[in-house]
Amino acid sequence: MVIAMRFKTYITVWLCAAVLAGIPANAPAQSKEYQIKAAFLFNFAQFVNWPSTAFTETNAPFCIGILGDDPFGQALDQTVQGETVDNRKIIIERSKNIGDLKNCQMIFVSRSEKKHINEILANLDSQPVLTVGEVEGFAESGGDIDFYLAGPKVRFEINPTATQSDGLKVSSQLLSLGKIVQTAKGDK
Amino acid sequence: MIRLQNLPLKRKVTLVILLTCSAVLLLACGVLAAYQLYDFRKALISDSSVLADVIGKNTCGALAFQDENSAKQTLLALQSEPYVSGARVYDAQGNEFASYVQEGAIDQLPVHPSAEGHSFQNGHLVLFHKITLNNKAIGTIYLQTDLKGMYDRLRVFGGIAFLVLAGSLLVALVLASPLQKPISGPILDLTQTVRTIAERKDYTVRVPSKGTDETGLLVDAFNQLLAGIGERDAALRGEITERKNAEGKVQSQLARLELLHRITRAISERLDLQSIFQVVIRTLEDNLPIDFICICLYEQNANILTVANVGAGGEKLAAELGMTRDARIEIDQNGLSQCVHGSLVYEPDISESQAPFPRRLAKTGLRSLVAAPLLVESKVFGALIAVRKQVESFTSGDCEFLNQLSGHVALAAHQAQLYEALQQAYDDLRQTQQAVMQQERLKALGQMASGIAHDINNAISPIALYTESLLEKETTLSPRARDYLSTIQHAIEDVSHTVARMREFYRQREQQLALTPVKLNELILQVVDLSRARWSDMPQQRGIFIKVETSLDAALPQVMGVESEIREALVNLIFNAVDAMPEGGTLTLRTRLSDQPTRLVHVEVCDTGIGMDEQTRRHCLEPFFTTKGERGTGLGLAMVFGIVRRHNADIEIESAQGKGTTMQLNFPVPATQAISASKDSAPFVVPTRLRLLVVDDDPLLIKSLRDALETDGHLVVAAGGGQDGVKAFRTSVEQKEPFAAVITDLGMPYMDGRQVAAAIKGLSPATPVILLTGWGQRLIAEGDIPPHVDHILNKPPKLRDLREILARCVQTKPA
Repeated sequence: MVIAMRFKTYITVWLCAAVLAGIPANAPAQSKEYQIKAAFLFNFAQFVNWPSTAFTETNAPFCIGILGDDPFGQALDQTVQGETVDNRKIIIERSKNIGDLKNCQMIFVSRSEKKHINEILANLDSQPVLTVGEVEGFAESGGDIDFYLAGPKVRFEINPTATQSDGLKVSSQLLSLGKIVQTAKGDK
Repeated sequence: MIRLQNLPLKRKVTLVILLTCSAVLLLACGVLAAYQLYDFRKALISDSSVLADVIGKNTCGALAFQDENSAKQTLLALQSEPYVSGARVYDAQGNEFASYVQEGAIDQLPVHPSAEGHSFQNGHLVLFHKITLNNKAIGTIYLQTDLKGMYDRLRVFGGIAFLVLAGSLLVALVLASPLQKPISGPILDLTQTVRTIAERKDYTVRVPSKGTDETGLLVDAFNQLLAGIGERDAALRGEITERKNAEGKVQSQLARLELLHRITRAISERLDLQSIFQVVIRTLEDNLPIDFICICLYEQNANILTVANVGAGGEKLAAELGMTRDARIEIDQNGLSQCVHGSLVYEPDISESQAPFPRRLAKTGLRSLVAAPLLVESKVFGALIAVRKQVESFTSGDCEFLNQLSGHVALAAHQAQLYEALQQAYDDLRQTQQAVMQQERLKALGQMASGIAHDINNAISPIALYTESLLEKETTLSPRARDYLSTIQHAIEDVSHTVARMREFYRQREQQLALTPVKLNELILQVVDLSRARWSDMPQQRGIFIKVETSLDAALPQVMGVESEIREALVNLIFNAVDAMPEGGTLTLRTRLSDQPTRLVHVEVCDTGIGMDEQTRRHCLEPFFTTKGERGTGLGLAMVFGIVRRHNADIEIESAQGKGTTMQLNFPVPATQAISASKDSAPFVVPTRLRLLVVDDDPLLIKSLRDALETDGHLVVAAGGGQDGVKAFRTSVEQKEPFAAVITDLGMPYMDGRQVAAAIKGLSPATPVILLTGWGQRLIAEGDIPPHVDHILNKPPKLRDLREILARCVQTKPA
């Protein structure tokens, strides 16, 4: 009942918002989730230390790559606008090709790349790139962080083995906040 | 403050020390406590800030990834901080993100965060702290720490401070006790000294001097002050003693003055010497310590002091000394002679004195003597003698007092004497006045009486002559007639005596009576008979019975007297006795003889009547004193007294009211009874046939005289008046028939007896003139025999006397 109530409330809010904004009904929900996810992405950058080898040059900007379809719309751009990571400017690269994202320190693997996950991960294995996915089993597959939804809340799994092997130092806070998963052996 | 003021110095000093220590310690503790508080707060703020920072850091991730649970878990770590009562994390929008409330605490966490900073509210420190991520505030943490910790620490600090304070005070107390001594010690010494001085009034006490500090200086100054006070005290004491002595003197002086005043007042009220002396002596004995006191009167001629009054207290001593009242004291050369010369004598110690009077006193243990003279107009008339057993026991004040007192006593005594003299003079004057008055009355009475007497004498002359003549010549008379005649003769004699005495009332001079032996027993019986009517008949008419008894001493000697006078006296006494018994009673007449001390014959007239009181008894003999009112003349007893005195006798009256009266007449018994021989035995020859001229204006007298003379054989020529008598005598001279004698009456009209006598002597000087008079006795007694009269014959004439005179005339005639 409670869930039903809450759901109903969400519907109402969304409807109202949709009416007011004049946008499709599902668009704000999508937007909300990805606004959060965008913020999370930015926050991951705060709690992870990249080795200096991850950057091509000292003043190189911090690059966030979106592999596949961009679900964020303007949300990610808005989130990182004016922000820095470790005194580096943040730039966002979008591409459907992993090769285009060679300079990125963090790559968000869109849901559209679900079928190519193992391929993508194998490509990025042992490179100082934080891989963030939103498909179930992404972390078990060797991805670093995987979003999932716990009810209305956005949560994430983290695979410390993967991050370690990528040469990333993940803050203990982040580890404590995320759901720790290990790489499924059978998949390898 | 007052309480502190009253504390002993020792405690005060200790208290001051303790208070000072306490104040300083408290200040120090306070500052420390304040600092502790400040420090603790600072530390708390710092700690809380750090804690908030740590928690903020730890919840940074949770905030970033919106993991409330994680944040909550982080906050739960605060459970290990007991003073953190609550914490809350707010997100960037200021909404609650995660909260922590200590178990048991109330959720009072603010809903929205405030600006960063801290504040103390309601016993809590509240703190807001920004949580930043990459220099960007992503939230706020609120931390609420309660101050229990601080308070606990303060409490512990307070306890420690208290212990320190208590310990310090204890130490201070222990230290103060010996340390305050240098301050309080000298002051306590001072106090003790002052107290000692106050108690003992001893200004010689000194405070022990210690050191030369201010206290030492104070002590020295105090000691100097004490020395000064001691000197002044001694001086003051001396002065006080002097003043007390002076006051004592004044007091005793006042007491003496008061005594003097008392005595003076007391004696001024008294007017007789004995009473004055008594008062003086008694008051002195009562008020002064005196062992023996007496007042003596001085007899200048005999040079002797006579004790007039002796104090009652010293009576025994007085008897021992032989100085009772009326004792005589010889005046010796030492003290008493000075005293009687007018100066006060004080002998401080008479034990060694050689003079007889002091020695007499000294023998009985008396030692000091004061003799004060009683002076009036610088003449000593007595002395006040006061003696004490102690040596030198009279002070100069005592002497002065006695001197002054003796002055007052003398004055009072003098006044008393003056008063007595005045009283005497007054009494004399009154008596004289009374006597004069009485004499005047008696004179009038006597003049009247003498007229009456003259007439009576004239009237009874014939009776006497005839009676005598009858008894003498009529030998044939029956015994009864003779008896009657002799009674008549007695009665006539009494009448003539009575008449004669009537005139004595106005006579002052006592006349010498011719006293004859009187047999009192017979006289009494006569008197009882004579007065029978008065004591028997008259009372019986009123139904009253008076019994008369006689008790006569048969061996009673005769006394010398005038029978008729004694009879008169007895009659008077009987009448008085009868008057004194208005209810009847017994009248007793008694005679008796007593030999001691002299031979006396007592005649007593006793009645059982009303008696007399003392006043009456004292005055009853005075003339004109009567208790009988109109009935009495007041002359009865006066006359009796006169008669008794004329007989050298006296009268004793014994009477008490209601007990009857006894009047006792005491007659002296003459040494020899021989005096009774009377002149009537002298023989004379009765001449016969004489030619006699009788001159009288009373024919009855002429007749009786003629009869009597003619019976004797004489020739009688009678003349009825003076002129007739002289004419008859002249005729007889001319006729050479002279009269042998002329008998003439004295009082006659036109020419009285004296003129007749003169005329006859003129005619014939040799012819004897016999004056026949009712006043005859008086004339003889007064020596008032008129000139030219040779003999006086009283009326009523007795034949015997007439014959005797005629015989003498005839005898002298030839010579």
